[in-house]
Amino acid sequence: MRLYPLLFLLLLVAGALAVLVGSGDLTDPELRDTFLKLRGYRLAAAFLAGAALAVGGVVVQGLFRNPLASPSVLGTTAGASFGGQVALLTYGLAGVGGSFVVPEMTVPIGCFVGALASLAVLLLFLRVTQDLLALLLTGFVLSALFLSLSAFVTSVAQETWELGRAVVSFSLGSVSGTGPRQLAFALPLIAVALVACWFWGRSLDLLLSGEEEAQSMGANVGAVRWWSAIWVSVLVAGAVSVGGNVGFVGLVVPHMLRPFAGTKHQRLIPAAALAGGVFLVACDIIARVIPSRSEIPLGVVTGLIGAPLFLLLLIRLRRERAYA
Amino acid sequence: MRNGDGNLGLRAQALSVTLGGRTVLHGVDLEAKPGEVLALLGPNGAGKSTLLKALAGLLPYEGRVEIAGADVGSLSSRARAKQISYVPQRSLLRSALSVEEVVALGRYVHGGSFGGMSKNDRDAIDHALETAHADVLRDRIFTQLSVGEQQRVLLARALASDAPILLLDEPTAALDVGEGMAVLRLIRTLAARNHTLIVVLHDLADARSTTDRALLLKEGRVVEQGATADVVSAEPIRAVYGVKLVENARIGFEADPEGTGTDAHTGTGTDTDTGTDTDADTGTDTDTDTDTDTSTGTGTDTGTGTGTGTGTG
Repeated sequence: MRLYPLLFLLLLVAGALAVLVGSGDLTDPELRDTFLKLRGYRLAAAFLAGAALAVGGVVVQGLFRNPLASPSVLGTTAGASFGGQVALLTYGLAGVGGSFVVPEMTVPIGCFVGALASLAVLLLFLRVTQDLLALLLTGFVLSALFLSLSAFVTSVAQETWELGRAVVSFSLGSVSGTGPRQLAFALPLIAVALVACWFWGRSLDLLLSGEEEAQSMGANVGAVRWWSAIWVSVLVAGAVSVGGNVGFVGLVVPHMLRPFAGTKHQRLIPAAALAGGVFLVACDIIARVIPSRSEIPLGVVTGLIGAPLFLLLLIRLRRERAYA
Repeated sequence: MRNGDGNLGLRAQALSVTLGGRTVLHGVDLEAKPGEVLALLGPNGAGKSTLLKALAGLLPYEGRVEIAGADVGSLSSRARAKQISYVPQRSLLRSALSVEEVVALGRYVHGGSFGGMSKNDRDAIDHALETAHADVLRDRIFTQLSVGEQQRVLLARALASDAPILLLDEPTAALDVGEGMAVLRLIRTLAARNHTLIVVLHDLADARSTTDRALLLKEGRVVEQGATADVVSAEPIRAVYGVKLVENARIGFEADPEGTGTDAHTGTGTDTDTGTDTDADTGTDTDTDTDTDTSTGTGTDTGTGTGTGTGTG
């Protein structure tokens, strides 16, 4: 159990750095409060998104019995991002719901629908083949599809300048502009989904042995799959609505953790939530300190870490012939 | 419920299975009683594994599979798994779970969604590991074990569920002779503890040595059913496999209490002869077991008992 003290320590260090590091001048007493508040939101957004994406990664890896799966690799994040854009567009053009509904609310719903749609395609695909690489390829295709659809939505949104700006900034995604209202909507979503994933953990353990064995040991495989997909969609929706399209967190974090936390889901999920949060906060700090003309997007940092790891894992899997 | 107490056995009536538009099982009737080992025999593609999966409730079927007065198909997966444990030929598990964690999966049906394990859970896991002689493997990683060791762990996982009915799909396939014998001996031990066992076997000699009754399938239909010695006899075997049954024709093996080769999984099981030198009702059977044990207890000696006898040709 030395893992948790370490993770909490890392969280403390990362949290402190996240508040202290940045381009703003904290010695100016007039601006200090504003800077600290903005960095606080940013810290919270990065932590929430990281926790959600890491646990999402753990669950989809178990769900598809595929160590290379993650919400971004499978196209779930792209689906959520597209769903969020459509929600913004519908809200902006049609003014759905009048003054009672705010974009902070419609966006997570759109994200959820988009994420679930892309996971549903993969679950239906599982009936045809269980091949690891075929699954990943389908994920890539879904990802590409949603990205091109997103481009279309973005072009439609350019009709009005304000809406166009909103859609573009959402699809670029960043934790830097996240406000308290977005956090207030995302926090309960993510919290509930994290707990729900933990509850399905025992069933996901059974699923590691494949559908037939899981069923023979008493798991209702259909229920496990669809409920897991629903809760992962909620997690990804929450993460995308506060942090945009950030990739590879769900791939990197579970793999870093397994040597310490093991494979059982109920041990892995809480650890992944903490570690994922810390990881994304750390990536956000890196994004801020690397000197560049404008700030580096968070997704670039996670991508630079995640993409090589993905290739390494792929090579290792091929060597072990772990897929067939 | 441990050791199959309160076990009422399993009964199937007019069981048919259609897969992908093709009927692969036609109206199978069978009954397996507590304390009894039933062998499912037949050539490749006869429908043995399909029958086993249907009995386990893992495939849709027509007809009726009755356990404890209820139809398997009408039970929830949880209720069914409390009665029936299915052991696949190989597990598809590829994740780095320890043996203890794998066996603990068998307790799923008894647990809630919370992570903790009750004392009853831990007792069941210990008992299962001990029975399957897998307690020495407890902390090993499942995927790093030999096929034979994995088979014993899968049996332990099935036992941990406390289900009285055990369905085993070719439990000795791909095992070496020592590992295979350990598994067969375990099957007898479980039958002695009032479990109901239904076992798919491809080795007819194993069936003769280990099982009480047998069901011989060909192209999805039952050809012969009854005491194993009657089913695995000249006429039905010729009809189904197209081969002549020769009693005591080949060398056989039996466990060597002194040998260390396969000792990890011998232990205290009941000693049953495997090989073709079992007593069948074939008249004069001079069973001369010449145990050529030269080295006393050291080395990997698998006591080669060559059973010679006059059989029916």
